[in-house]
Amino acid sequence: MIPGKYRSVSGRAANNVNCGLHLVIQTSSLPEKSKVEFKLNKETPSFSGRLLQHDLERNYSSRQGDHIHLASSSMPSFPILQRSSEEKILYSDRLTLERQKLTVCPIIDGEEHLRLLNFQHNFITRIQNISNLQRLIFLDLYDNQIEEISGLSTLRSLRVLLLGKNRIKQISNLENLKSLDVLDLHGNQITKIENVSHLCDLRVLNLARNLLSHVDNLNGLDSLTELNLRHNQITFVRDVDNLPCLQRLFLSFNNISTFESVCCLADSSSLSDITFDGNPIAQESWYKHTILQNMMQLRQLDMKRVTEEERRMASVVAKKEEEKKRESHKQSLLKEKKRLTINNVARKWDLQQHRIPNIAPNQDRKVSDSSQDPSQLHGSTVSAFPEETGSLDSGLANALQGLSVTDTHLVEVDGDTLSLYGSGALESLDRNWSVQTAGMVTTVSFTFIEFDEIVQVLPKLKIKFPNSLHLKFKETNLVMLQQFNALAQLRRVDQLTIDPQGNPVVNFTLWKYYVLFRLSHFSMQKINGTEVTQNDMIMAERLFGILAHVASSELPQYRMISILGDARKKQFRYLLETKGKKPGLVNEENNDSKRLVGENTNRAMLNYTTRDVYNERLEEIKEKKKFCKMYMEDLVKEATEINMKNEALQKLWPQMFIELVRDAVIEIRNKNSYMKLCLQQITDQK
Amino acid sequence: MLSPERLALPDYEYLAQRHVLTYMEDAVCQLLENKEDISQYGVARFFTEYFNSVCQGTHILFREFSFIQATPHNRASFLRAFWKCFRTVGKNGDLLTMREYHCLLQLLCPDFPLELTQKAARIVLMDDAMDCLMSFSDFLFAFQIQFYYSEFLESVAAIYQDLLAGKNPNTVIVPTSSSGQHRQRPPLGEASVLEGVEASLFSQCLENLCDRHKYSCPPPALVKEVLSNVQRLTFYGFLVALSKHHGINQALGALPDKGDLMHDPAMDEELERLLAQVPGLVNSAPANPEAGCLPSRTPPRVGSPWRPLHHARKVDAESDGSTEETDESET
Repeated sequence: MIPGKYRSVSGRAANNVNCGLHLVIQTSSLPEKSKVEFKLNKETPSFSGRLLQHDLERNYSSRQGDHIHLASSSMPSFPILQRSSEEKILYSDRLTLERQKLTVCPIIDGEEHLRLLNFQHNFITRIQNISNLQRLIFLDLYDNQIEEISGLSTLRSLRVLLLGKNRIKQISNLENLKSLDVLDLHGNQITKIENVSHLCDLRVLNLARNLLSHVDNLNGLDSLTELNLRHNQITFVRDVDNLPCLQRLFLSFNNISTFESVCCLADSSSLSDITFDGNPIAQESWYKHTILQNMMQLRQLDMKRVTEEERRMASVVAKKEEEKKRESHKQSLLKEKKRLTINNVARKWDLQQHRIPNIAPNQDRKVSDSSQDPSQLHGSTVSAFPEETGSLDSGLANALQGLSVTDTHLVEVDGDTLSLYGSGALESLDRNWSVQTAGMVTTVSFTFIEFDEIVQVLPKLKIKFPNSLHLKFKETNLVMLQQFNALAQLRRVDQLTIDPQGNPVVNFTLWKYYVLFRLSHFSMQKINGTEVTQNDMIMAERLFGILAHVASSELPQYRMISILGDARKKQFRYLLETKGKKPGLVNEENNDSKRLVGENTNRAMLNYTTRDVYNERLEEIKEKKKFCKMYMEDLVKEATEINMKNEALQKLWPQMFIELVRDAVIEIRNKNSYMKLCLQQITDQK
Repeated sequence: MLSPERLALPDYEYLAQRHVLTYMEDAVCQLLENKEDISQYGVARFFTEYFNSVCQGTHILFREFSFIQATPHNRASFLRAFWKCFRTVGKNGDLLTMREYHCLLQLLCPDFPLELTQKAARIVLMDDAMDCLMSFSDFLFAFQIQFYYSEFLESVAAIYQDLLAGKNPNTVIVPTSSSGQHRQRPPLGEASVLEGVEASLFSQCLENLCDRHKYSCPPPALVKEVLSNVQRLTFYGFLVALSKHHGINQALGALPDKGDLMHDPAMDEELERLLAQVPGLVNSAPANPEAGCLPSRTPPRVGSPWRPLHHARKVDAESDGSTEETDESET
């Protein structure tokens, strides 16, 4: 602070210069009115000079009215200042010319000892005519119209330079002022900090109320203790850690919004006092504790003391923030990984779907024995696959097979939803799920998995996730109504969502009714998001009820048993395969299947066997069929032989009969010889 | 027993003509497959049931396609079963695509080939816009012709192509090429200008076909009738005419007349009964137990129908409560 005495001399109440410096110069009180006289060049007075003279003469009563004399000078427009010798002796080291309506710096003659020069509140536009005052220590040009710093190159002893409230656009021409202690440039139009690196003794730098947009270039200011940057447009601060002595930094009323833009402050160990009020950052919820956490050395923030309590709170909160950030980072990493995996699975799936037609055109198309390839139903009609694209796809497919795929499937449990992507994910059902996790799962979503593969794991699903009530299928290649039969084996399904993407079955008009019909024992509530109404159930029954009736009542008994038996056999086979099978579990399954038989027997006939299993079975039967054929042929041969013999016998019989009778009659013609013959035969027998 | 016709054919051929061997083989095969279950109640009963079902036409339900196609009787039974089961779909008025019909077919026969369905659809749609919707009756009759007479139709197609190309299979190629060519030229000229082939020529070829081949073909008289009405016709025009011909339908005997296609009183009654069992239905009329009872050997039915729609239906093996549908009413 400028000592009060001096302040009163300058006549200003407010002083924007916040110097923490105690001026070495001791001043004695000066009278209010100046005892200085002015000598003006009368001969060629400038306009302003003339005016000045008038004003002077009007406003200032000079006691030494006779002492004013105007001397001519070589400079046309500059007034020449001369003081009376008494004043020179009294105030030899200081000169106050404030509020003199000066527009130019007058030539000051014969005052080479001057140490303090005050030009406050004038209209000076250029610093001139003071080069000879080489002892000057204190120069005050506050509140003028100076546009450029210049004319100071000889003032090597200058220690305080006050240039506030001018029109300076640039910091320059301070090269020789190496002893500068206080530099006040507030209230100007400076846009950049520059040309100050040589001021190694500078202790106070005031750049408030300028047009600075950022702070850097602060190296070299090794003594700087206070830096005032209030009321600028600063968005980021750099290089502050290069200031080894900086204690106070005022950044109020700027444009700082993040801590990162001022992060260099954390590295400054000397800082003890900082203000950020009036910045956007001060409005943030995390402002105080972030600053305190990062700047442990602070003693005052926004002109208020930092208490221990606040510091503690800050560190706690900061730790929590760190945790949260880490968590969210982890989450986003996971999400990204998940997204990549799903993309991977999708690509693989598409490849699969397009790869299958490569085989189809090569198959022999015979009407009688071509087995239906479900992939042919996928997408376009059968005739649409030309050989060329088929071979191209296979080439591409082979090339892509060479790529290493990191993740081929994804399993995710998210609260109540279990999501499975890719056929590899089905194996995860074998894992040991905790009862709690498994119990919470109510929705199971399948994506990019062939429905036939899903069918095979449905028993597992039933056991491991007993509460799953909502099934979702997307890109699962559902093409036939029949496939819905497979869902009947589950315990209960409340909702079913079949995404049209990748599931051609949704294009059928009757698919929903079929589902409702076949799975009526589930009393489903929603299909694809729409509620199931009573009318839907009735319509389903109306459309397919007879099918069920025919299936149950008109099938012969052995067929029914064999079909049902298959279902039961499948269940038992699965149970035998699972590890840790307990007898209790088996009984439960027994009851389950009994119940299955009990409900909807008429629909139980409608099963679904996957294509592969079906073909396998047909293959197995082929052997039997061959055997049967051979067996029948043998039987037929036998039968025809017997038939032939029978017919032959029929033809020959009359003849044979006659001959038999004839032979018998001939034998008995002679009664006596016949009797003898018989008796002999009897004795022979013995 | 000793009729001369019977003796005219060698035994094996006689059996083959009646397809007796097919059924015998199939029966034995079924026996082999299910011997554990069948041994429970005896082989004799099995054979009884089997041949009963063959007579009734239910033997083809859920069987593989090769079996269904094996004999004309099987084919006819399959057609009838399809009609019976999905008549309600037709009655509802829904128009379905070829694929959906194929799906329905697959419900009854899991490995039914798509080509057959496609060919049937082509008949309905006159080989145009294969994604069009078709009505149940149109599809059913076209399917009947296609499926029952599939081999016949293949030969007819071949003949048609030949006729279109100008080759007359009936023409005897005399060594002197000129006369043969003379005879062939007129049809060629006509065929290239107008669509299809000449009906009379076509009819002649078909007659020869029917005589020559042993597999089932439509009654020649009726075919002649169809062809006598028009001057020229295309292949699909011919098939459409076949499918819509009442006489052929009746000769086949599988399906009722077009007018009666939606009528099946017995099944309708059954359906009403089933509808009454839909839970929550406020239908005061109790189900008629006499109409179309389930045979007693089926396991006990679903319990009381009056349960609310959204309760989990845990149905016990034994029905609880005495409602009208208990087993007492059954024979």
